[in-house]
Amino acid sequence: MSAPTAGPGRVVVVGSGMAANRLVESLVSRGVDDITVLGGERYAPYNRILLSAVLEGTHSVDAITLRTPQWYAERGVDLRLDARVDRLEVAERCVVLVDGNAVPYDTLVLATGSLPTLPPIRGLVRLDGRLHDRLHSFRHLDDCLRLSADVAGRLARAEATGGDVRAVVVGGGLLGLQVARALSIRGVLTEIVEGSEHLLRSHVGAPAGKILARNLDRLDTPVYTGARAVSFTDGTESPDERCGLRLDNGHTLETDLVVITAGVRPSVSLGRRAGLEVRRGLVVDDTLTTSDPAVRAIGDCAEHDGRTSGFVPAAWEQAELLAARLAGEDVRYDGSRVVARLRATDLDVAVLGEHEREVAAGGEVVEIANPIAGTHRRLVVREDRIVAATMVGDLSRIGLITQLFDRRTVLAPHEPGDLLLGDAPVRPVVLTDEAEVCACAGVTAGRIRACSSLETVRETTRATTGCGGCAPTVRQLLAQRGTPGPPGPTAPPGPAGTAAPVGSARQRPRESPEERPERPESTERPDSTEGNLR
Amino acid sequence: MTDTHCPYCSLQCGMTLAPRRARGGAVLEVRARPDFPVNEGALCRKGWTAGGLRGHRERLTTPLVRDRTTGELSAVGWEEALDLVAERITELRTASGDDSVAVFGGGGLTNEKAYLLGKFARVALGTSQIDYNGRWCMSSAASAGNQAFGVDRGLPFPLSDVERADVVVLVGSNLAETMPPAARHLDRLRERGGRLVVIDPRLTPTGERADHLLQPVPGTDLPVALGLLHLLDAAGALDEDYLAERTTGFDDVRRSVAGWWPERVERVSGIAAEDLREVAALLADSERVMVLTARGAEQHSQGTATVLAWINLALGLGMCGKPYAGYGCLTGQGNGQGGREHGQKSDQLPGYRMIDDPAARAHVAGVWGVDPDSLPGPGRSAYELLDALGTDGGPRALLVHGSNIVVSAPHATQVAERLESLDLLVVADIVMSETAALADVVLPVTQWAEESGTMTNLEGRVILREQAVAPPDGVRSDLDVIAGLATRLGCRASFPLDPEEVFAELALASAGGRADYAGITYDRIRAEQGVFWPCPDRDHPGTPRLFADAFATADGRARALVVDHAGAAEQPDADYPVHLTTGRVLAQYQSGAQTRRITDLRDEGIFVELHPMLAGRIGVRDGEQVEVSTRRGALTAPARVVPTIRPDTIFVPFHWVGANRLTNDALDPMSRMPEFKVCAAAVTRAVPAQRARVR
Repeated sequence: MSAPTAGPGRVVVVGSGMAANRLVESLVSRGVDDITVLGGERYAPYNRILLSAVLEGTHSVDAITLRTPQWYAERGVDLRLDARVDRLEVAERCVVLVDGNAVPYDTLVLATGSLPTLPPIRGLVRLDGRLHDRLHSFRHLDDCLRLSADVAGRLARAEATGGDVRAVVVGGGLLGLQVARALSIRGVLTEIVEGSEHLLRSHVGAPAGKILARNLDRLDTPVYTGARAVSFTDGTESPDERCGLRLDNGHTLETDLVVITAGVRPSVSLGRRAGLEVRRGLVVDDTLTTSDPAVRAIGDCAEHDGRTSGFVPAAWEQAELLAARLAGEDVRYDGSRVVARLRATDLDVAVLGEHEREVAAGGEVVEIANPIAGTHRRLVVREDRIVAATMVGDLSRIGLITQLFDRRTVLAPHEPGDLLLGDAPVRPVVLTDEAEVCACAGVTAGRIRACSSLETVRETTRATTGCGGCAPTVRQLLAQRGTPGPPGPTAPPGPAGTAAPVGSARQRPRESPEERPERPESTERPDSTEGNLR
Repeated sequence: MTDTHCPYCSLQCGMTLAPRRARGGAVLEVRARPDFPVNEGALCRKGWTAGGLRGHRERLTTPLVRDRTTGELSAVGWEEALDLVAERITELRTASGDDSVAVFGGGGLTNEKAYLLGKFARVALGTSQIDYNGRWCMSSAASAGNQAFGVDRGLPFPLSDVERADVVVLVGSNLAETMPPAARHLDRLRERGGRLVVIDPRLTPTGERADHLLQPVPGTDLPVALGLLHLLDAAGALDEDYLAERTTGFDDVRRSVAGWWPERVERVSGIAAEDLREVAALLADSERVMVLTARGAEQHSQGTATVLAWINLALGLGMCGKPYAGYGCLTGQGNGQGGREHGQKSDQLPGYRMIDDPAARAHVAGVWGVDPDSLPGPGRSAYELLDALGTDGGPRALLVHGSNIVVSAPHATQVAERLESLDLLVVADIVMSETAALADVVLPVTQWAEESGTMTNLEGRVILREQAVAPPDGVRSDLDVIAGLATRLGCRASFPLDPEEVFAELALASAGGRADYAGITYDRIRAEQGVFWPCPDRDHPGTPRLFADAFATADGRARALVVDHAGAAEQPDADYPVHLTTGRVLAQYQSGAQTRRITDLRDEGIFVELHPMLAGRIGVRDGEQVEVSTRRGALTAPARVVPTIRPDTIFVPFHWVGANRLTNDALDPMSRMPEFKVCAAAVTRAVPAQRARVR
């Protein structure tokens, strides 16, 4: 057995997904040069996160391609696509392909990802073992393209006949919601069936899940929770005849197609058959090594510290870390922080951390629910830090909350509450005589009020002769001449969430950075809004 | 009455100076000069009060020499001072070699001074050790421009082109405060219906003009660019014909942004995915997009990569070379552009030639009348040069012209220590700056309005500052100082005293280079409101707009280069939990050596800007003292509590001693730019000693 500090020798990677691609990028940049990648799909590595975007039509396949085969070739990496692995011979240290070829390795990296879980629905799988034509899973680019083509064909035929196209998405997790929204935007009448009591069961609590269901309903996507699909009956006559998906509550949903997004499980069969330790995933230690010292595992297929991830950031962190280790650095993996963002048009969901686990660990919950507005936001705070958060329907401070979560920022007791509250409305403000109006020339409102015309302002104060930004304010002050301004200096700004009193163009009230106006005109600008100045 | 230009920033606003008698002596009155197109008569308060630079009571009028045993400075005559400097330099060169003497220049020096300083270093001193403070200004944009376009001219078009774009994206620029008259062009853009996007962690007076304001975490402008390019590619909004005809390398760039979907950008940058989508949609629908970067994007350890990412965006949309569109850098210092073209940079010779290029060496050596082999090779970059002072193998003497290093260098405490370890520090300045106060020999020199010389503004327009008044008795021009030293060092090359004569030589030296001034003369500048380089001969009209037909690369195509986000060198942690960023305020210029001495520019002093949420966390109110500390230093200053800054970020202006004791000296690997714009800091309420005990 080679010492851990020795080079990785010949590296063979099974899988060509996002973890594998990142690993290769990182190995190449570190000068590791003997790399073979055995990809099970026929496509160059692509961004799986964006498959629902391809379905929705916002992204072309080309736009989600992460690296071309040429890129691999130019760097001397042997990328074999559509390479189906039959088995691992760990004693001989080689990978045997279905075509019988053996690929020897010194270091084997399993990045086999995960596979869709198929729920026990009668009629789902045909006698020959293949999925029924009307049924779609949604894991690989081929799945996505087949579904997209099916949808396109049906929509075209429906348009010709004046009919419509219906779909049922089975599974109301993140992927299910994304697919449902994508189908809906394509023009398919879509319904969602979720077996548990609410949507996003593994990420948010029941109130948030229910608000989410209402939001979907408003987007014309009905959600059936607490209902399991039990059997599928196909149309026998023509491909356009409606099928039926029967639920365990007795209802049957008529539909043209069914998409199964009922979760995934780590793809571990190669490892299991080779005798590697497998629980839910391929068990790895802090060095991402499996029970065989020459075999590593990263990404969705790996189980570290009792957890499998299923999220790209974790897979990439593992890939980077493994590349560093293989290049000789002594770094160890200690888990990843997860931020899951739903990528679905008009549906705002963010999930930070593991809220159930954090609540169980003693985290305190700060939350605001507004079912009328369709918003539910919850922060879990432990030891003055945001350790988990779920946000539905309102992501107005997502950028800041994510930073505070990722950086483990210690907050004051009032801050979690302030983060969830909106800013107080901006009050109309009167400029005091001391308030600076023209920053370029350093001119106060009082000095403007003392002038009789714009001409005098220019000559005696030089206000408006710099950047020109104060001209509207100056004109208004002149127009309202004769009315004295209020006495006294401007007061200091108030506490968080309230706007500072306004003294000048430099100190206008503003929303916090996370609540940016689309255009400044939509906010109250004291220099441009009639009535702000007296 | 003299038509000239402002002494400060790269806008080099036109102004007219009128010497006037007043009670207490002659006064230099500033008047509007509406015919100069960049500012059309507008000036900010620094410009209007520039006359105050004259005749200040702190003005140095005699050379000073320090007695090292007592530390006292005493006045000496010019001959004695120059003799002393030359003598010490000769001793050091004999003892430790030519590279034991170093020169540090500035981006505020005229082209003539910058040129002659470079020549003096290479020919009279024979040292490779010369660099300048522009390295801390726009060097990242310069490096990126050279790599992508084959040339580095801040704006490849006149500034007024801004008005005719459809969308202008300002990345890390607060031009409404740093160069206020330039904001008029933004206002006209918006009057025409154009849109403005501003990217800055703070909502500044520039941001107040924006249609879209993105406030990213400091140090994440790069992933914002990657995310926008991702969305534009996905939307099919890239100009494929342009990319095929005018660029190389874009396919790799396209692949590299496939992994930067908006939600990932959101997590890294703090910019909500939805806001990014809105800006991408705006860009996708616009015919003419102009991307302008400034120090906020550039002063990072990934500054060059950040600029390249924004250039890629402009290239992807097919904008570079298109009228009223493209990419540009808003240069900062008065002669930031010209200062980097004529040889005061460690790796350069005049005309933006590279010092390791044999043809360039031969050409310049020919103009200087020396053997090409006698020219030294490339030396250390600015911060590395300062960091090596007084160390083993590092320079033992330093001559400083036009720079206040102690205030403007990053990790300033260490830099001051290095200056103090020198055998000889010579500073030429107009007042006793913080750096001059450390010098062994201080040489009083002429300034703006007392001398003539050309500057190259942010547009690449060569303009002429004319002498308006006689200098005070006792001061000499930098040109005079350089010539005086060269003669004493036994150098026989020419060092003219007349700026126009120096310029003619500079023009010859630059001929055929990337920044070709060969056809420019003082008379042409006067007649044509400045001349844009390249201008290879007298009949050439100059080049206001670059890249219309080709880029300055060997094959004429722009290079799209893959860059990725690595993040700031120093990230917040439990001990230093917030981001510190630095910048400018309207009433001050650079280290404040000039502006703080002008009574009409009220000096409000240093302050710490922070969000009410953060102020609440540390229990401080507006105006109360806070202490900011980083791994390198600390300062105490009043809090300025504003809701316009990111709650996880604090801002300190750098014009005063202190700010740059905090900043990080991590360098950009390509431009050697220090990371002025972001580091990790702690901020606490500065509790008075008595109260501390009670608690």
